[in-house]
Parts: sequence; structure tokens; C-alpha cells
Amino acid sequence: MKQLHYDVVVIGGGPAGMAAALKAKEKGATVAIIERNEELGGILNQCIHSGFGLSYFKQELTGPEYAELFINQVIAAGIDVYLETMVIDLSRDRQVKAMNQAGMLLLCAGAIVLAMGCRERTRGAIKIPGSRPAGVLTAGLAQRYVNIENRKPGERIVILGSGDIGLIMARRLTLEGMEVLGVYELMPYANGLYRNIKNCLDDFDIPLHLSTTVTNIIGHPHLEAIEVAKVDENFKVIEDSREVIACDTLLLSIGLIPENELSQKSGVSLNPRTNGPLVNEALETDQPGIFACGNVLHVHDLVDNVTLEAEAAGAAAATYALQQKAEAAVGEKRLAENKYSIPLVAGENVGYTVPAKLTSPTQKAGRILFRVRKPLENAAVIIQSGEKTIFQGKPRAFKPSVMEAVQLSPDQINELTAMCDQNSGGQPIIVAVQEVNQ
Amino acid sequence: MNHYDIIIIGGGITGTAIAHECSKYKLTAALLERGTDIGIGATKGNGGVVHPGYDPTPGSLKAKINVQGANLYPKLAKDLNFGMINPGIFVIGFTDADEVALKHKLEFGIKNGVRDLAIINADQMRNREPHLAANAKHALYAPTATVVDPFEVAIAFAENAKANGVAILMSQPVTAIQKRRDGSFLINTPDRQLSCSYIVNAAGNHADNVASLAGISEYQMKPRHGDLLVLDKDMANKPQTVIFPCPRPDTKGIACIPTVHGNTIVGSTATMMDDKEAVNNYAPGIQALIDGVHKILPELDASKIIRTFAGLRPVVLDNNNDFFIAESQTVSGFIHAAGIQSPGVAAAPAIAEQVRDLLDNAGLKMIPKLDYNPYREKRIVFADLSIDQQDALIHQNPAYGRIVCRCETVTEGEIIDAIHGVIPAQTLDAVKRRTRAGMGRCQSGFCQYKVIAILSRELGLPVSDICLEDRGSQQLCGPVKGGVK
Repeated sequence: MKQLHYDVVVIGGGPAGMAAALKAKEKGATVAIIERNEELGGILNQCIHSGFGLSYFKQELTGPEYAELFINQVIAAGIDVYLETMVIDLSRDRQVKAMNQAGMLLLCAGAIVLAMGCRERTRGAIKIPGSRPAGVLTAGLAQRYVNIENRKPGERIVILGSGDIGLIMARRLTLEGMEVLGVYELMPYANGLYRNIKNCLDDFDIPLHLSTTVTNIIGHPHLEAIEVAKVDENFKVIEDSREVIACDTLLLSIGLIPENELSQKSGVSLNPRTNGPLVNEALETDQPGIFACGNVLHVHDLVDNVTLEAEAAGAAAATYALQQKAEAAVGEKRLAENKYSIPLVAGENVGYTVPAKLTSPTQKAGRILFRVRKPLENAAVIIQSGEKTIFQGKPRAFKPSVMEAVQLSPDQINELTAMCDQNSGGQPIIVAVQEVNQ
Repeated sequence: MNHYDIIIIGGGITGTAIAHECSKYKLTAALLERGTDIGIGATKGNGGVVHPGYDPTPGSLKAKINVQGANLYPKLAKDLNFGMINPGIFVIGFTDADEVALKHKLEFGIKNGVRDLAIINADQMRNREPHLAANAKHALYAPTATVVDPFEVAIAFAENAKANGVAILMSQPVTAIQKRRDGSFLINTPDRQLSCSYIVNAAGNHADNVASLAGISEYQMKPRHGDLLVLDKDMANKPQTVIFPCPRPDTKGIACIPTVHGNTIVGSTATMMDDKEAVNNYAPGIQALIDGVHKILPELDASKIIRTFAGLRPVVLDNNNDFFIAESQTVSGFIHAAGIQSPGVAAAPAIAEQVRDLLDNAGLKMIPKLDYNPYREKRIVFADLSIDQQDALIHQNPAYGRIVCRCETVTEGEIIDAIHGVIPAQTLDAVKRRTRAGMGRCQSGFCQYKVIAILSRELGLPVSDICLEDRGSQQLCGPVKGGVK
């Protein structure tokens, strides 16, 4: 079996993997990207709509264009890229077992960046009753068929779930001459970005039915119809609202799940709420030298944010690997600094935070990302440690579809060290979004 | 027109087991399956437990055949190279009344000839299954119980039968049966006419319909529907044992079942239905499964459900829930293997022997073939190989170096093998059952387009002709634009 050594091995060659690899290379590390598909770019390759790069490149790009800018840099930078190569095992000591048409590979890495992305939730996960015919597929798979394979999934389409991929596909299928009958959403609010509701549904007169879900799948061997029904505030079906809609295709856009089965083989702990690794502010998991970024860490709405996060992870991975190498060269370890790990906890109305902990003392600002659990008309971010309020935001509206970010200065973080107990570490920092009464 | 000594109607686990048995003798036989693959009726719609035989009433046909069949499995698994695990069964009791019922089952088991049964206490149970419900008091333990993948067993039977000379014909729904003056039968399907001396009716839920084509009305059938669900391999606190609650008269209850491949199946509900084609899932049934399994394993993580499915058990009405295995009393040479409800998987190999004896009684000379080959070669399962074997295999054929299904680590080489196998896989689901491509947690979201492309290339068909399973289940239509066909 072929053995290879790199300072940093990046698993996944989508937007996260490429940005992480470029940053690691820039820091002076030797870098490899392992990509399972035939080309770099990941899911961006099938996202042929525009709207990418507005914040990172200050111009509006399509998915493939955004990917291409990074692919060109990766090639120019001299990063080793392994295409059509699948990682089948990852160990705690950062050995990557992979395979491709040339055989099995063992890559030994100083640091690992996990950038495998996410997968779509399926019909089974939400247990839709009925028959199991052809014509029921996830929105991302339909996107692949229409945009890359040049195949129509059907002619009369219903979309369940108002996630961004579903909204984008509603527009795409309409533009390609298919009839999109409607988008159905269980929640009383849309899950996708506002701009997608407007540009993909409203502009094409595609109805969005909130508090409505698919209650039965009808037809065999091919989908013939679905039954939809309204739900009450406890998501119970309102019986007399049941309605059958004839259609030949049901697309599911019902959520994305970070894909961490590989990460778990190396012992990385996950946040049960996001299924993403628990990381510190350097995006390092609880396994030393293993970092995570992009949708494998938590699901993002904008690729520009993925790129920024991945650059930070790539830089941290390179720093870790190069420092370990330097220490090994002189044969001694730098004395461990006296540092504390302060846990971050999702408080009122907050689903999760990334990172899940902050290290103190620090010279760097800590960027905390989170999402609210439900739409809030008028509320404010409040970050507290015990009785002490560290940050108080201005009142405004919040939506679960929008990722929120708050920056804590090094001083704000270091101040907390004083309150740290010598033995038990830091008291948790609680991130909440509290409703404001006017 | 081809004449066969025997035509078997139905390619489920019963029909294929019979084909496998027949292939051992000097005779000609064909199996007609109405679907596009073997094992896609009741065979694919159950939990795969090879019940050891403590359940049927002593003295019943079911009791005898169940135990006999289960005893045949270990050798069959070895000879035919199908997966089999030996997790044993716990039947859990919660009350004193349950304990009485468990002792009753123990007696049944002993009378039926099941080995090593015992009633065990709470500590002994928890030693093996620490996450059992706190109020579980005692269990009947059947350590010999095994679990198989029922459709893999059916495919193994069919492939071995075919290798030994039985014609296995797919997409052959029987439309007419005629008994001729010379005693032989004439059978029509939409594109064939065949004749035979004996018919074995193993048509599952449709056995009564097939019998009526031959003018036989000796029984009526209805399906007993069951919802089932599959949980991810990657789940905390997975049970190691098949765990049933104490049974009720009409059903063994909702069990959790470790599978050959490391998933957990929860199943199944039991509801008599009228529609033989409606293999649907029902919302109350799925909820009953989740509630039911939580009574046994309260911590089981329902968010790990990756798929729901359903099965229809073929029930012969007014037959005490027993199998109906006999020669027709009105049409000679017509053998019924009908009403093969639970424990049909366990019983299948013994049903085949029973049918062989019935054929022998009916006058067909069963002379053993000297060149019968009892072995079926193990197919390549890339994920099961050592890393050195994997490396060597890829060097031999790079198609084994291309992963198609990431969740189950299935290579293109394995998919090509399945498409060109002894019983060729012609559909997405046929590929899935043989290779597990699409069986994992993404449920084919990432690999379906790749498998469609491989099927299209290997079969020389346009992608818009590739079906999920039955005729008419094409997953894709024509091109979005341009002239691509």
C-alpha cells in the first residue's frame, strides 16, 4: 500500500476544502486535498444559479464560477489533489486510509481538516406514509439530474420543505418548462433565505403553503399524487384540510445533516443538535490536530461564509502541524501554557453555537456563530457569564434561516479567565436571544 | 414450446427454495416470477428473523416445518454463501401473567424440538442488553435464533438453482392455466406459453388467484399488513439480540432486530387488509412501531430512522393461521405452497423438502443428480475485505477502486458484478438488494445518478428506461433540453 506524508490533509474538495487547503499552503505547509468526485468544487458544480461571492468577491457569481476561482488557485499553488479518491478510515493519530483506481493509500498527516460537507434529509427520516414509488427524490439529487445529467425528474412537481435548495429548484424547474405546483412547509415560516423566497417563488407565482405538510404518497409503481394537510400549532394534522394533489414528482428539501460518520471514526465528539463536531475558536475538534469547517461543521446558507470559516481552519491546521514538526525537530515540547477552556452554551431561543468553547487567555477575537430556533419579531442578543453580561445587541428581528455572528474581543474573553476556577475551568458563556417588549 | 416436469409459480423465498430443492434431482424445472426480480413480494417485506420454532402450536404443520427449516439454515448459509448472524431471541415479560405466557412458549418450544431454550431473569437479560426497559422482569431466551437477509437468501436459492439447470424467468405473470387431457398443464404469460407435468403454486399473496386460474377454489387469502422501519448502523446502544415483547394471540409483537449488515429493524405491526397490492406505510403503524420499541428499549434513538417499509404476509383464511402445503384435491399434479406467513423465512427450506415429497407422492420420480453442485460462490464484497485484499483487487480491476455508494462503501466493480450476475440485477432496487448501494443513510441521494448511469451503460438502455423496481417505475424522464437521448 502506498504511503504518503503531508503536513495538512484536507478531506473534501468543495468550497470549504479548497479554501482551507489554500490557507494552509499559504502558511507554508505541505497540503493534500482528497476528493471523492471526478472534479473539485463539490456541490457548487451543480448550483448553476447566481448569488455566490457577493461578500467574498464583491461580485455575483454562479456556483461553478465561484468554484473555478478556487480550483485555479489550488492548481497554481501546487497543492496535491487526489480526485475520485474516497477516504474510508481516519484514525485518532491522523492516518487517513483512502482508495482510488490506483489502489489503497495511506496518508499520514500532521493535521487534518474535515471538509466533507453535508447530506440531505430523506423521506425515511421524516417517515412520510404511503407507497414507495419512483418520482420521490431529494431536491439536491434533482438538481444534479437537471443541471448536470440533463434529465427531467418529471413534469408536474411538488416540493416539500422551504429549504434553499428546494426554492432554487422551484425556479430552475419552472425555467426548464416543468410545472411546479407549490412548495409546502410544515413550519409556520419559511426555512430558506428571504431573497430566495422572493426571487424563486414570488417572481414565478409559485405558491408557498406554510403550516402544511405531505401526509400521504400515492401511486405505484410511479408517483401519481400526494395528499397534503394543514397542521395546527402542535404540528397535528387538521383532518378536514386534507387535499389530494396530482403530480408525478415530489422533491424533498427538508434539511441538511453534516456528514460526520468518518469524523467519528477518529473519535471526534459531535454536537447532537447539529451533528457537527464540537470545536473551539480555532475550529479544532476535541481530537488534537483535527479541524473542521464548512457544512460538515454546521450548515451554512452562504458559501462566502464557508470560505471564511475554512480559511481560519486551514490556517489553524497549518500552524498546528508546523509547530508539532518544529517541536519534533528540536526534540522537545513547548511547555503547555496555562489555558482555560470556557464552554459556550446555547441559551434562550438559540439552537446551537459554533464554536462550542473558547480558549482563554487569547490574543484573538472570538467569532461566535449561531442560529435562532424560531422567528423573533423584536429581540436582542445577550451573552452572559454567570451574572455578568459580556455582550448586549440592539433589538431587531431574527430568522432561523439567517446565521448570526457576534464577535467578542480578546479583552472580553480574557476578563472571564479571572473568574475561572483553577480546577473546574471556566463558567459557561450563555448565548441567548431575548425578546424585547416594546 | 418448452415442456418442463415442474413449473414453480412465484419467485419469493418459498418458490426459490423449492427451485433449489428441485435442482438436486434429474428433472426439468422452471420458475416464473411476475416481478422484475427475485424476492420482491413478502420476502423483502419482513425482518429476516429465522424463528427457532417456540411459537407455533405443537402438532401443527407450521411447528414441524418451522423447526426443520431453521435447523437447515446453518449449512445452507455456508454452502450458498449468504449472510447469517446468530443474535438469539429474547421474548420479554413485564408481568406475572407474561411469565406464565413465556413458560407456555417454553413448553411449546421444547415440544417442537427447539434446543437450548431457557427462562432467564432480569440480571441475565441486562448482562446482554443493558438498555432494556427497567420494568422488564424476565425473558424466554432462544440462543439458537439467527437472522438473515431474506432477499439475499432468495437470490442465493435462485442462483444455485439456475446454476444447476432450473430456468429462472423474470417478468412472467401467469395469465392462464389449462389442464390438458394428457394430465399436463399449459401455462400462459404475456410473452410465453409453457407446458409442464406438475405445478407448484408459491405465488405468495396471489396463490389463491393463481389456483383459481387452474379452476381451483380450495382456499381464500388475505394479506396481513405490517409496517417496519430501519435504523442507521451508526446508532448508540444498538441491541445485540432480537428482542420481542411477550406475544399476543394474533402477532409476535413489535420487535427490534439486529440485521446482518449492522442496522436495526423495528417491526412489525399486524393488520388484516383487503388490498393485496397496497404495500404502503401508514402513519398510525409507524407511530405504533416507535411506541412499541420504546416499551422494550426506552432509549432507542428514533431520529436514527433511515427508512420505513412494509410487508404483506400471505394468510390463508380459515386455516388456523397455518401454512397450506398440499396437493390440490380437485386438480391432480397441482401442489400448493400457500399461506406462507411468519415464520416463512425459517420454514422455506423445509417447505421445499415437503413439496419434494408431495411431488414424489404425486408420481414424479425424484432421482438425485450426481453432478449437483451445492455451492454458490461468494460474491465480492469490497467493504468486507482486508486492506491488502482490497489493494490487490483494485490492481486486478480498477472498477473496484471506484466507490459509488459512499454510505455503504460499494464499488462500481460490485455493481457491474450484480448487473451481470447469475440472476442479473436489472433495476435500481435489484442492484441495491445485491450490493447495498443506496441502502445507507443517504438513501441513494448521492449515488442514484451514478447507479442509473452504470445500469444504462451495462444494459445498453437509455437512462430514462431505468426503473426503480416494477415496470413503469422509471425514475427519470427525457432530457431537459437539447438532443441528448
